[in-house]
Amino acid sequence: MSESPEAVLESILSPDQRAHYQLAWLSTVDHKRIGILYLLTGTVFFVAGGLEALAMRLQLAVPNNHLVAPDTYNMLFTMHGTTMIFLVVMPLLFGLANYFVPLQIGARDMAFPRLNAFSFWLVPLGGILLHFSIVIGDASTVGWFAYAPLNETPYASRLGVDYWAISLLVLGIGSVGTAINLFTTVLCLRAPGMTLRRLPLFTWMNFINSFLVLAAIPVLNAALVMLLCDRLLNTHFFLPAEGGSPILWQHIFWAFGHPEVYILALPAFGIISEIIPVFSRKPIFGYEFVAGSTVAIALLSFGVWAHHMFTVGMGHAMDLFFAGSTMLIAIPTGVKVLNWTATMFRGRIRFNTPMLYCIAFLIQFLCGGISGVSHAIVPLDWQTKNSYYLVAHFHYVAVGGILFAILAAVHYWFPKMSGRMLSEKLGRWSFWLMVVGFNGTFMIQHFLGLAGMGRRIYTYPDLPGWGWMNMLSTVSSFFMAAAALVVLWNIGSAMLRGAPAGDNPWEAWTLEWATTSPPPVENFHALPPIHSRRPLWDDAHPERPDPVVGPDHEGTARPDKYRSAMVAFVLSEGAFFGTLILAFLYFNVQPQQGPTPKSLDLLKTGVFSICLFASSFTMWRSEKALHRGSNRGMIAWLSLTIALGGVFICGQGLEYQNLLAHGMLIDTNLFATTFFTLTGFHGIHVMVGLLLMLIVLGLAMAGVFKSKPPPALAMVGIYWHFVDIVWILVLTVVYILPRFL
Amino acid sequence: MNTIQFLTTEWVWCPLALACAAGALVIYLRGVGWSRRGWWMVGAIASFLIALMSPLAALAQGYLFSAHMLQHILLLVLAPALALMALPKSTRVSGRISGLLHPAVCWGCGVAGMWIWHLPALCNAAAESRSVAAVQTVTLLGLGVAFWWQLLAPCEAQRIAPLHGVLYLFAACIACTVLGIILTFSPVTVCGAYLHPVDRLGIEPLIDGTWGMTPMRDQQIGGLIMWVPMCMVYLGAIFGQLARWYGAPSEPSTANLHTT
Repeated sequence: MSESPEAVLESILSPDQRAHYQLAWLSTVDHKRIGILYLLTGTVFFVAGGLEALAMRLQLAVPNNHLVAPDTYNMLFTMHGTTMIFLVVMPLLFGLANYFVPLQIGARDMAFPRLNAFSFWLVPLGGILLHFSIVIGDASTVGWFAYAPLNETPYASRLGVDYWAISLLVLGIGSVGTAINLFTTVLCLRAPGMTLRRLPLFTWMNFINSFLVLAAIPVLNAALVMLLCDRLLNTHFFLPAEGGSPILWQHIFWAFGHPEVYILALPAFGIISEIIPVFSRKPIFGYEFVAGSTVAIALLSFGVWAHHMFTVGMGHAMDLFFAGSTMLIAIPTGVKVLNWTATMFRGRIRFNTPMLYCIAFLIQFLCGGISGVSHAIVPLDWQTKNSYYLVAHFHYVAVGGILFAILAAVHYWFPKMSGRMLSEKLGRWSFWLMVVGFNGTFMIQHFLGLAGMGRRIYTYPDLPGWGWMNMLSTVSSFFMAAAALVVLWNIGSAMLRGAPAGDNPWEAWTLEWATTSPPPVENFHALPPIHSRRPLWDDAHPERPDPVVGPDHEGTARPDKYRSAMVAFVLSEGAFFGTLILAFLYFNVQPQQGPTPKSLDLLKTGVFSICLFASSFTMWRSEKALHRGSNRGMIAWLSLTIALGGVFICGQGLEYQNLLAHGMLIDTNLFATTFFTLTGFHGIHVMVGLLLMLIVLGLAMAGVFKSKPPPALAMVGIYWHFVDIVWILVLTVVYILPRFL
Repeated sequence: MNTIQFLTTEWVWCPLALACAAGALVIYLRGVGWSRRGWWMVGAIASFLIALMSPLAALAQGYLFSAHMLQHILLLVLAPALALMALPKSTRVSGRISGLLHPAVCWGCGVAGMWIWHLPALCNAAAESRSVAAVQTVTLLGLGVAFWWQLLAPCEAQRIAPLHGVLYLFAACIACTVLGIILTFSPVTVCGAYLHPVDRLGIEPLIDGTWGMTPMRDQQIGGLIMWVPMCMVYLGAIFGQLARWYGAPSEPSTANLHTT
């Protein structure tokens, strides 16, 4: 065993620095501390969301109850859903990923520690914004998916929905930041020998998950931007009376919402794939299938969203295709369940608390998955959609599946994070309370739903059987609350007087167990050689190592982290603009009354566009000049780029001025609305690009770049080319295409 | 006429397509000879003939947009992929041509094949004129071969790396999803030629009555075919890439043998 972390700290830090290190949880950029901050934040909001759930269950305990008012009940379920998804499960999973992904790949930290801290601090900011609406007594009452037009000013005139939308925007930006960071970390910071084919499954699934976050969250952001335009600028995206489309909100929301389900589920799958092999004392069965089915799930999750909308009346054709694709997505998930079960088969299983949670996960998640497939059967879905059957289904996935996986992870990795063991006895108590409480609460809700009880009703008449079923559900929910208290008690008492954990208490074979518990600031002093997926096993059993996976040199040269991060960022921006462009097409294929695309001046815009396209060329010349080592050439070409971009943005300004002078305002009609949102957001991006280039130019003129070529110019370059490509699409869709329709 | 009668009788007599198919088979057998790989070629020729001579072709000639879309998938996606899989490992293309086959170019070919032929003017022309339809068939096959070349080139060295292949296919999936979404949700008719078909074969009552097809629903199904099953084909190919990646040899020496 290596030295204690305290000793290491003293050896590398001065006393001042050390005092700072120990106090500076608030300013930390260390991935482990940020991970723990995420976990703590998630726990705080878990308490809030849990109390909201208990209040709802108390209200529903008996028929015709008047404990909470109808409007308060609406606030409770809206806040409960939003909190649990965005402020509990996502922060908890991001926290675990933050802590363990760098450790599992043998890295020193995340790729961008400051971005990491920024992403984290947006979570409390978003959470406070959301909960502030409770303080002012105006929390959103329109449900976590805020269906249009209920979310619009005429139907929700108070501030709740605005707080809801802005807080989700803040949280969404944080999530995209985290996804960029995780993606870049896994791609660029792997230890020598840790090829992509050898990644531990938790890391692999977080890697794939970062693609999902990058592609899905910006779609929600675009929807929220449109909603805020409607509410604050008086536009009509989703208001049918003015030509808007409430169905569009549902499509965009679920185009985000269904991948979101897998954003929550994939890391949970990763956790299960780590724990089951360790406690079965076998390698995972069919690593390739578990990893490959993750990719399949990630892709399929984007093609099934309309199954949330069978009751909308999309027509038989749509229903049929989405019923089919929804049934297909059960296959890769089923493959995973099979692999986990086969891993346990003939293993020498140790039934410690983490493993107990995993086994319960397998059974409960299977139930949730099967009731999920039952929703793919369209006529059944019509009957059960807004009933407690659906509530039971998604709680079996979200609580019985995902929350159980998180609890497994907490029990599994707590020794690594704290250096102390949790009590097995308290762990078993919490586990059994949780299993009894969870199944008692939600199993019965399947039957309540089939008996016809609708969701989101604040009370119900005394129909046969409803009373005792609801009472059972309420009583059981307090078992879950008790389980949560036992988990917290267990963690608290273990922090104070838990048995020391040692480096590797579970005999696990991934890299996070190769360092001390808790790991030192720099994570590792030395890494074992990595030739397979279980490097510590090879180290401990040199006589019978795992088969070598792939050549060691595969991808030895890691991609440039700045470039990778920028590409990931551009991907997420592409999803954002893609949504806005599709919304523009949706509203403008048939000409609106009032101004139309034909009233735009193509010639003028064409000239200014040429300036913008030329600036991409000059940007490229500038980078070439820097590569040649010509600082002056670089400065000259960059100045020209800024000038051309400036001409373009001035041209846009003139066009706006002209349109406004002719009475075309953002709320004139849907063409004006979509035109100003799309070109406006592009204009903002151009201005941000110009600002970044000015900063780079200033640094270059100050001679900062003379010693070594910086990544800044290349990164701004990628961003600038992206802005130009978006403009090609906008020009085609907004200015050129409508002339031919 | 009922559906069974329609499926048995309405085959399109197209001697040119038959001659091309026979020619391709003869060239294949003379050049490569028969092996188990030949079944892929049979599949390629079968999907080519189904696209051009089966009742599907009859429907695609002015009756149903969705049938045209299936034809499109058979010609652009299925037939070229199967044909490439039929080629023996020793097949190479010369350096000059493979220099042209940059991944971005190939990807652009596949996506252009989908998008360009759905511009209203071209889509209408192909539905109305047989010569334009012939041009369409040839370009779809050619663009399809270019698209799949990066993934299914007979020689391993001329393919892109498996993980890049996953991204290549994912991007193609997004491109066809966007087109599918536009077609599905478009309130206007993309391909006006299918709006008022000239009932040459007397099957309009079957289509409207028995199948319950309206122009709106027809276009919706067409868009959905482009969106969902098309992406399933790409997803299948993604599995192929992952299998190739995980199945790559562990020992560097064998990998070297393969490329030299």
